[in-house]
Amino acid sequence: MIRFEGAGKRHPDGTVAVEGLDLEVPTGRITVLVGPSGCGKTTLLRMVNRMVEPTSGRVLLDGTDVAELEPAKLRRGIGYVIQQAGLFPHRKVIDNIATVPNLLGWDRKKARARAAELLELVGLAPETAKRYPFQLSGGQQQRVGVARALAADPPVLLMDEPFSAVDPVVRAGLQEELLRLQSELHKTVLFVTHDIEEAVRLGDQVVVLREHGRIAQLADPHTLLTTPADDGVAAFLGRDRGLRGLGLRPASAIALRPVGDGRKDGPEGGPTDGLTHGGWELTLDDERRPIGWIDRAAVTAELHPVAGFHPDTDTLRTVLDAAVLSPAGVAVALDTEGRATGTASREAVLAALAPGSSRPGAARPGAARPETARPESGGPGSGGPVRTDKPATGDAPDAGPADGAPGGR
Amino acid sequence: MNWLTWLGDFFTAPDHRSGPDSIVHRVSEHLLLSGEALLYAALLAVPLGLLIGYTGRGVTVVTALAGAARALPTLGLVTLAVLLAGVGDSAVLLPLVALAAPPLLVAAVEGVRGTDPDVRDAARGIGLTHPQVLWQVCLPSAAPTLLAGFRTATVQVIATATVAAYVGLGGLGRYVIDGLATRKYAVTVGGALLVVLLAVAAQLFFSLLARFALPPGVRAQHRAR
Repeated sequence: MIRFEGAGKRHPDGTVAVEGLDLEVPTGRITVLVGPSGCGKTTLLRMVNRMVEPTSGRVLLDGTDVAELEPAKLRRGIGYVIQQAGLFPHRKVIDNIATVPNLLGWDRKKARARAAELLELVGLAPETAKRYPFQLSGGQQQRVGVARALAADPPVLLMDEPFSAVDPVVRAGLQEELLRLQSELHKTVLFVTHDIEEAVRLGDQVVVLREHGRIAQLADPHTLLTTPADDGVAAFLGRDRGLRGLGLRPASAIALRPVGDGRKDGPEGGPTDGLTHGGWELTLDDERRPIGWIDRAAVTAELHPVAGFHPDTDTLRTVLDAAVLSPAGVAVALDTEGRATGTASREAVLAALAPGSSRPGAARPGAARPETARPESGGPGSGGPVRTDKPATGDAPDAGPADGAPGGR
Repeated sequence: MNWLTWLGDFFTAPDHRSGPDSIVHRVSEHLLLSGEALLYAALLAVPLGLLIGYTGRGVTVVTALAGAARALPTLGLVTLAVLLAGVGDSAVLLPLVALAAPPLLVAAVEGVRGTDPDVRDAARGIGLTHPQVLWQVCLPSAAPTLLAGFRTATVQVIATATVAAYVGLGGLGRYVIDGLATRKYAVTVGGALLVVLLAVAAQLFFSLLARFALPPGVRAQHRAR
């Protein structure tokens, strides 16, 4: 656990970066510091590993004042990821990752083996090991940065706007990856960002900061989005925070309407029940994968695209979006093989929002957290969403071409 | 042409093929003297430059001094050194070191300062000590700039080491000076040509070194700038 006790920073010229902050960063959780530039969030983060020395108050790491620890030693026990990755350009990827183990005096072979292990953990191909940083894309560099931070298996991870410099698609992939890693590793993560979207997506607890490091609100993402502390926080959260809140609720909360087996043995040679919605009919192939929607009133059998979702990994927001995009007003639930397992209408999505039908705040796709599981609440289908290891969605670790292509040479 | 025969005479003269006045001997004298001067200059300038570049303290002073040092008349320095120290190696080494040190100093300072600040920050943040950052991060990053500094210094020293002959020492300057003194212009031209060739060869050597001896990551980074 990291504890800020009145930690403040006043620069020699008299300007105040942080006035004095009290904050607890709980063990095994992701705490996000979010705020406009100049709110002192990076300064606070850097106090933890003594890259910045507080001028007042103190920072405790598991009960020990970090000021009592030797900086280099302290830092080797804390993972550190920065915006531009900061990889050593003259070292191969594998040696970059092995930096801290080498500093700690590990056996070279052991350090290399550990680095190779981490390369796999962050979703990079083994042949990446022999590359130099300049041969990697921004997203890949950032993955290496995370791997380097995790190399010596530190309990604490400091991340200073680590995903700000990559494009939105890659960023989403990296965020997903971080949540997956966290669900396996349970590190104490202090994450700094100016992007409230990212904060809400990643944080177990989100700390909204104002200038001089004053806390405007400290809450879990759901509470933050639904009940901002004041107008300032609401303005910072931006428009449609209600809709964005949908992104925190698992799609598994929706009561799906089952689909038939797709054979045309219904009444009057029509399809079985579950495939017709209003004037639209869902067509499936032999494997029960959706092919398209057909307008039953139309003369031609033109296929309209199907918007699908994965109940175990997607959120209500995705489902609602899919339902809105679908000509029939219905999103199709798919299993990992892409087969249709049910349908969800717009109404069904809204019904899932009714109180008691899901557990706001606790349940979030991408990270199963034992601490937040409250088995006594919620009905079937609303339990903590267990994320499959291989997300079937397009933003799988190596699927995105934007992330896979080598960067500037 | 006239000077071609001169050169032919120069290279075929028996004195120049063996003995103390042979080309091989003079070239090795020249290289030894240049090498010695470069070594002392490097020992003096590189560590100082790395330190100044890393701490960022005294950068303006270094830049100003290096600029001023370039304006020093080498011949004047040689004369001064002879007056102070008498005829000897040091009389020549002193001006040569004074000539080679400024480019090396500037290269070391600029090279270290050119290290990506994010990389330095990350290096500190993951637990490298200051000496480790300087040695493992800044030095490799400064290597291309440093190498370029060595190239400049070497070419200048090789060209200028001819002054050694002024105070009675060896090297290729012997041919130039002696040729002038005895009105054997063939010898002067030959000696001058050898100096040029040596300088070009040094230039080439460092280009190859920069191409093949630097780690690929550093090379790419340097190209990108």
